[in-house]
Amino acid sequence: MRKDDLSLDNCLKCSDCNTACPVVTAHPAYPGPKRLGPELERMRREGIECDTEWVEYCLGCHRCDLACPNEVNVSELIARAKATHRKPPIRKMRDWWFARPGLLGKLLTIAPAVGNFALGLKPVRLLMSAIMRITPERKFPAYMNGQMQAPKAATGERVLFFPGCYIKYNEPELGCHVIQLLQLNGFSPEVASTGCCGVPSLANGDAAEAHKRAEANVNSMIEAVESGARIVTACSSCGHMIKTGFADVLEDNPELAHKAARIAAATFDLAELLESQQDIGKFNSNFAPAASNRKLAYHAPCHQKSQGIGRPWYNLLRQIPGVEIEDLNAGCCGMSGTYGFKQEKYPVSMAVGQELFAGIRASAPEVVVTECATCQMQIEHGTGVKAVHPVDILLNAYKTEVRSHQPL
Amino acid sequence: MRNVRNHFDLIVAGAGIAGITSAAAAASRGLKVALVSTGPGSFVLGAGCVEVQNTDQGLHLLDESMNFFRNLTTLAGCSFRGGIDEIRYVPTILGSFQTVSFAPFSIWNGAPEAAAQVAVVGFKGLSSFDANFVAERLAYHAAKLGKGSTYIAREIELSREEDTVAGTLQFGNRFDRDLSFRQELLAALKPIAAKASLIIMPGIFGLKSGQDKIEALESELGCLLCELPTLPPSIPGMRLFNRLEAYLRCSGVEFFTGFPIQKLEIENAHFTGVLLDAPARPLRLTADSVVLATGPFSSKLLGTSSFSVNSDLRPMESSGALIAGNLYAAGAILRNSSARGGNAMAILTGYASGMLAAGVGVQYAQR
Repeated sequence: MRKDDLSLDNCLKCSDCNTACPVVTAHPAYPGPKRLGPELERMRREGIECDTEWVEYCLGCHRCDLACPNEVNVSELIARAKATHRKPPIRKMRDWWFARPGLLGKLLTIAPAVGNFALGLKPVRLLMSAIMRITPERKFPAYMNGQMQAPKAATGERVLFFPGCYIKYNEPELGCHVIQLLQLNGFSPEVASTGCCGVPSLANGDAAEAHKRAEANVNSMIEAVESGARIVTACSSCGHMIKTGFADVLEDNPELAHKAARIAAATFDLAELLESQQDIGKFNSNFAPAASNRKLAYHAPCHQKSQGIGRPWYNLLRQIPGVEIEDLNAGCCGMSGTYGFKQEKYPVSMAVGQELFAGIRASAPEVVVTECATCQMQIEHGTGVKAVHPVDILLNAYKTEVRSHQPL
Repeated sequence: MRNVRNHFDLIVAGAGIAGITSAAAAASRGLKVALVSTGPGSFVLGAGCVEVQNTDQGLHLLDESMNFFRNLTTLAGCSFRGGIDEIRYVPTILGSFQTVSFAPFSIWNGAPEAAAQVAVVGFKGLSSFDANFVAERLAYHAAKLGKGSTYIAREIELSREEDTVAGTLQFGNRFDRDLSFRQELLAALKPIAAKASLIIMPGIFGLKSGQDKIEALESELGCLLCELPTLPPSIPGMRLFNRLEAYLRCSGVEFFTGFPIQKLEIENAHFTGVLLDAPARPLRLTADSVVLATGPFSSKLLGTSSFSVNSDLRPMESSGALIAGNLYAAGAILRNSSARGGNAMAILTGYASGMLAAGVGVQYAQR
């Protein structure tokens, strides 16, 4: 989308990006996307030493890219500087793990009860804070073992569901709900045997790991895409990565990059897919009037906005009879995946979230709805209001007899 | 393919002052509007002041469109003042006076007739504003205009976050978010306000705050406040944009921000939709009509470098044939068709295009 080399000279220094940056807004010492992106990139390309720790404070929200009137790929320029930034050993070790949520998930789901118990203990969290610089203020999400099975349906368009680490290791039940929702809408879903999408690797400056993840995922999905299946995601960051990141990360290998572009073109956010069903009159809207969760507030994750698909979840949830939903439109939550867990970044993360927290308090919903798992964590942490994935609301809206007809 | 969700009555391309006005006008007539944009137009550079004297077309619509825009800004909590017959001198950051007919109230305030005793207040460490220079020049120019106001320069110090330099963006963001910053500002200005009836200072009254916050400050100080836009980003301009955007969202306008138009779909002189350059694949939006308010360098979207418009703002090829019967142009893109007039023209043509798209029988140019 963003045309790389041309774009550096497209920067006219208008500062739109700085006004859109959540970190600049909340934390004035941050030099801002204009400085860390195009301005320093000119020097980096000349080989002038200008490494700065501030590149680590970029949330990767892409709001600067969307604010730019001239199509400068601001955040990508910062991400590249992040990948070559030199970190002190402890943070390097911590970020190595944060760059690999798939590995963490595999290890912690060997004996989830033990892992969850240990991660929940205050002394363990204090120890992690002292040794790993992980904030003790936050709780880790619980890890759990669960199987997502998609019984083969006789009819329906074949789609491949890319579950992502959070659904795989923390909330497999949500994955089952995704499958159910797809079946209710005439699809024949399969669960992809893919790993981590690589967003956490990029966010933690680990370009090599992101490359590995992208390559593995492309190889695992290309066959299905070539046989005509669409890919569906229920996590906005996974969707963002598949659509925008794979081809960029793999640009050194034209064959893989070409495959990545084909996969990107076939990838849909779940709500985007359901809306496309609605366009052809195949959306199942057999809803019963909502009995609970009638007053909702919707928070659009940054990686949803960066996909350029409008706001399909908001539009779908609005159709449930008896539901009142407000689009909060109150900026970035500040969590940005692993960012909010980092001890030195925790205060920035919370400061960024203030506007959203205030918006939620003013809206006073029964639950907040957002399709990003770490946005949910931040919202619950910052406001105490329950936050759920829109899949759960939509699935619950169907009449009981409609849901029970499903093979699950 | 039937396109239910992404079909609109009107697509407005461009979120500058023309696009915003066009979307607001159409939405006020009940149209389902999509606003497609990359960036907030020239709001980041200025403050939205309007001078109507250079306008040379569509004059019969001037009053109506300016009234519409003034009401719009009031509803959005960022009121404009003025009238088409008014000529008012408002100060600039270079210490000169510019003539305006309409301006945000916080700039309208700055005219020399508004007050006899004026304090020009700078902030310690803010390199882009020199209070002494501005005060001296304003005094000189006010005298030349025959106004009796006196100008004195003052400096205040505002707390800053550690390791930061003074900047209007930092102060603006803190004005929005931080009650203690607003109190600090009030305390610093109070002694100055005791001896002045107008304070002129760099714009820092927030990027999102409503005018109630600025008026509250004025009433506590017992003195008028005038803000000047400094180097980009212009805090008053971005506030105007953010307030208008928020108001339009509440009015049901759907925003598609950050993805440039890849293609206008025009078949047999009829506009059908736009393709936006979204990741993975283009996002297609369709509509019954479209307003192009995409700025001075965007006529390539029409496949031409110059074009003219007919009496209802529809671009024509050199042969005189309409490019599309349901396509209108507004704002600075019309420079390619020899129209002039800055923000006045943007509001005028924005309003007219929105009304035309809504089927309201206005004519931009009288023939």
